[in-house]
Parts: sequence; C-alpha cells; structure tokens
Amino acid sequence: MSGLEATSSSLDVKAEVRRANAFLAEKPPTTGAGTSDLSIDEELNLHSIGWEPVELVSGLSVFSTPAGLWNWGQGEIVMAGEAHQRAFVSASQRLHNEAAKVGAHGVVGVHVERQVYSTHIEISLLGTAVRPVGAKPVDASGVFVSDLSARDFTLLMVAGWQPLGLASGASFVYAPRRNVGTALQQKSQNVELTNYTEAMYSARETAMERMQRDAIALKGDGVVEVKLVEGPMRFAGHAVGFAVWGTVVRLTKESHHSVAPLKVVSLNDTDVAFDTAALA
Amino acid sequence: MAPTDLPEAAQRRLSEGAFSSALGVSDFAACLEMGLEPVGLVQGFCAMQQGSYMMGGLSRSLSPYGGSAGGYVQNYQCSHGMISNEHRTWGQNYEQTWVETAWMQGFTSSFSRMLEEAGELGAHGVVGVVDTVTRLTDAKVLEFHMVGTAVKVLDAPAPTTPPWSTYLAGQRLSKLFEAGLVPVSIIASISSIRVWAYCTTEFLMGGAGTMLRNSSGPQEIDQIVSAKSQARFIARSNVRAQLGSDSLRGANLELGEWEFERGDYEFQAVLRGNRVRRFKNFDPLPVPRATVRLS
Repeated sequence: MSGLEATSSSLDVKAEVRRANAFLAEKPPTTGAGTSDLSIDEELNLHSIGWEPVELVSGLSVFSTPAGLWNWGQGEIVMAGEAHQRAFVSASQRLHNEAAKVGAHGVVGVHVERQVYSTHIEISLLGTAVRPVGAKPVDASGVFVSDLSARDFTLLMVAGWQPLGLASGASFVYAPRRNVGTALQQKSQNVELTNYTEAMYSARETAMERMQRDAIALKGDGVVEVKLVEGPMRFAGHAVGFAVWGTVVRLTKESHHSVAPLKVVSLNDTDVAFDTAALA
Repeated sequence: MAPTDLPEAAQRRLSEGAFSSALGVSDFAACLEMGLEPVGLVQGFCAMQQGSYMMGGLSRSLSPYGGSAGGYVQNYQCSHGMISNEHRTWGQNYEQTWVETAWMQGFTSSFSRMLEEAGELGAHGVVGVVDTVTRLTDAKVLEFHMVGTAVKVLDAPAPTTPPWSTYLAGQRLSKLFEAGLVPVSIIASISSIRVWAYCTTEFLMGGAGTMLRNSSGPQEIDQIVSAKSQARFIARSNVRAQLGSDSLRGANLELGEWEFERGDYEFQAVLRGNRVRRFKNFDPLPVPRATVRLS
C-alpha cells in the first residue's frame, strides 16, 4: 500500500448487526465478564496491539494536615508536602494491588483527582486494569500504573517504550509577609512581589525533584505527560503550592521506533459563518 | 404504574405513522448504515420517594451498634477512655441499603417503562439512551427519566425477546458491532455509605495536630478511606452481580459526598455503563496508522 490509498472496512456491518441481534436470543455464554471505563475506540486501540481490558480498579487515600499549618511560618510547609506524597503513594499502592488481584499486567487511563483542604489532602485514582489478550498474571511487582489514555499507551508501546508507574511530587511553601513599612510603601506601586515569586520557584524545584526521584526509583528513563497544578490555596493567602505527576517510561527496544505519521491535508474550506453581530 | 400499563395516549401516538427520534443527524445516518431503522422516541419516568430507616444512629445520643440493615458495617471505638457528651466515643460506617434499593427501584422502573414503549413499537433495541436523575423539591424525592430511540433491525424477524438497549449510538455503536460485541442493556448501580465519625476521625478531619505541630506528622484517616473505598467497591460489586457472564463497557463512576457535621458524611457512588456480550471472536486489527493534520 502506498499510504495514500483510502482504507475501508470490507465488513458487512448490516449483516454483523443482524447476526449480533440473533445471537441475543441464544443461551448466554458462561464465561468472559469484565468491566472497563474505556471508550470503544480506546478498546480497539488496545486490541490492535494485542491487549484487552480486564477490570475497573480504584485506589484512594486521605491524609490529615494540621489546620494551623498554612498561614504563619517560613520556608516549606513540610507536613503538607509529606501528606500529599504519602496519600499519592498509598492510593497508587491500592490501585496497584487491585490490578494485581484481577490478574492484570497494568492499569491505563488512570483519572487522578486531588483535593487539598486546610485539614486534609485526598488523592483518588480510578482506571482500567489491562493485560495482553489471554495472558497469565504476572508477579505483582511487574504491574504498572499509568495515567496515559489507552490511545497514548498504544502509541507508546508501538514506539518501543513501556510505562512503569506513576511519579508525583508536591511542595507547599510560605510566601513570607512583607513588613508593615514595605507593604505601605509599595501599596500604590507597580512592583513585583518577590516573596510570592520566590515561594513559587522554591515549591516548583522541590516538587519536580521529588517526581524525578520517583522516576529514578522506578528505573525509568523519563516522565511523560506531566500534569502540573500550581498557585495559592483558597484557604491560605500566604502560601503557594505546586504539584506534578506523570507516567514514568523506559525504552525497551534498542532505540525509539518512529511511528512515521502520515501527513494529511483537509480539502474542506474553512466554514464561513454568518455573523449577525456585523449588522449592528 | 405497572410496567405493562402504558397510558392510552401513548399507545395511540405510538401506533400512528411517523417516527420520532432523539438522534442527531450524523447518528441517524450511522444507524441507517448499520441497518437500524429508527421507529420512535421512547421514554420512561419514575418519581421515587426515599424512605427513612431507623438505624439507631439518627442522633449522637444513641449508639448505632445494635442496628443494621444488612450490607457493609464497620464500627470504631474511642481508645482515649474519656467520658464526655462532647467526646465522640463511638463511630460507625454503614451501607444505607434502603437508599440503594429506592434508587435502583426508580432506575429499573423508568428503564422498564421505556422498554415497554419500545416493545409496543416492535423494536429490537433502543439506542442513544440518556438517563437523568433529578432531585425534586423534597430532597428525598428523585425523578428518574430515561429517553432513547427505539430501532428495528432491517430484514430481521420480529423480536421474541425484550429489546436490547445501549447508551451508545452512531459510529461508536457501529464500532462496537464491528469489534464483535452486541449491546445487551444499559446497566447501573449505586452505593450509599453513611459515616458517623468517632473522635479520631473528627479530630483529624478538623485539622488535629495544631497543638502538636512539631511532633505529630500527617496521618491517614482510616474511617474516611474505608468508607469511600467501600462505596466504590460496592457499586462495582453490584454491577458485577447483574452482569452474569457479560461485560461492562464505557463505564462511568460518579462520586458524591455530603458533610453533615465535622467528619460525618454520606458518600454515594453511581456506576453506569453498557452491558455487552461477545457474539464472535475478535478479529485482530492492524495497528492503526498515525496521522498528522496539516492545516
């Protein structure tokens, strides 16, 4: 195939639908149950590399943080960073255990939800456990957890890479209060608030370093699709937070295999919409 | 209303000529490509009042340990040895099975009413189902509404079994058939966990450790973790119990929480999805060709 030819399915879909409809009147099979939150497109992507969904799995953790922690102090708010990290690790471990229990080789499409309150930090993970079609369970230590979608997982595997697990890092840092004189003097000036800028840089470096440490511990080459959340907390005017997480990957072949994408050009004109506002 | 008791006006409308459909034009076209002919917009309603169950734990002055309505229960006991009206010496997580039963009854009734309308039309299935649950004026009354498009399979004999149903429509449904899966029905389950926090949970959720800031590190809040984890686990187990040997695809797990007092919560998990059955072995696909659009 030259790569420019259109591909089309030779399947007679109408016949398949009739066959499927008739099948429902037959006695149901006795084996083969599973649950998945993947879309049908994602499942087809998985199947194209010989993998299948096994079960919907979840992991969750909530860690306390002392309430008076957030507003007065200097440097990093160590306990908050620790609570975040421990909650992330516990939730990941529970997700990992559930996946191992159902005989999966990994978890893809993990939805990461995090809530930072003044008194506690919650991390919630939900994803679909997967394995090569019909494969036997592997040792629990070999089960990976990834927040890549099934499509991205497929692309990664085709390119010769393998997900190893989730890495995360978080840091919360006080932005020290200016003294009264400085605050009054700067009240009507255009001035950079270096206390906030420096706090953000400090939080960023610490969080990134922690995530990198996780990646190295998993013997990964790097972290892909890193998500980051940064900024002040609603309940703490003089503190900033920075959290990052992503999937640790490792090259499993000698070199990266190019997927050589086919370049396509749409011949459709851009739709010209009638703009009623232009009449005003 | 009994499931086999369609209003007269509905029977008259359904028996008349023109079809109606909730499908968009592209989904409508995809249905025709699959040999599915839309025959009518079908709906089911149910307004359901959720009753109260005297669990014993309706106020803090009553220990709830004596009561249980079945399902998950976990007790927590204070280890501090303090006796005070303000000190929460007991705590409990329990599954509110009556809440789950009411929800499932509302869902199932609206679902079966929708299927009844589809059956009246001689449909083989219902596609593109949208189901909504709305809290009516009274917080304990829920309205369940289900709507979908009934379809006939062209050139197929008249149905002898209840119509199949799916949340999918259009190309996504077409891909499902191509992948060797046939929709059986939409499926849902709910779990509801009530948490009565004991002292440790109350302190930790309230930011305990203020006084001991330098000596007390972060602690995992076991009672809350257990309640939330169980809410998810029960929702998934309930769906599994309905699946038999079929599979759940395109699942969506929604989580809700309500706080009554510090540490006292209700957690709900609602799991919905498509129950599907494999009707042929999966034909391996070629690895998809990656494309980049040049604009």
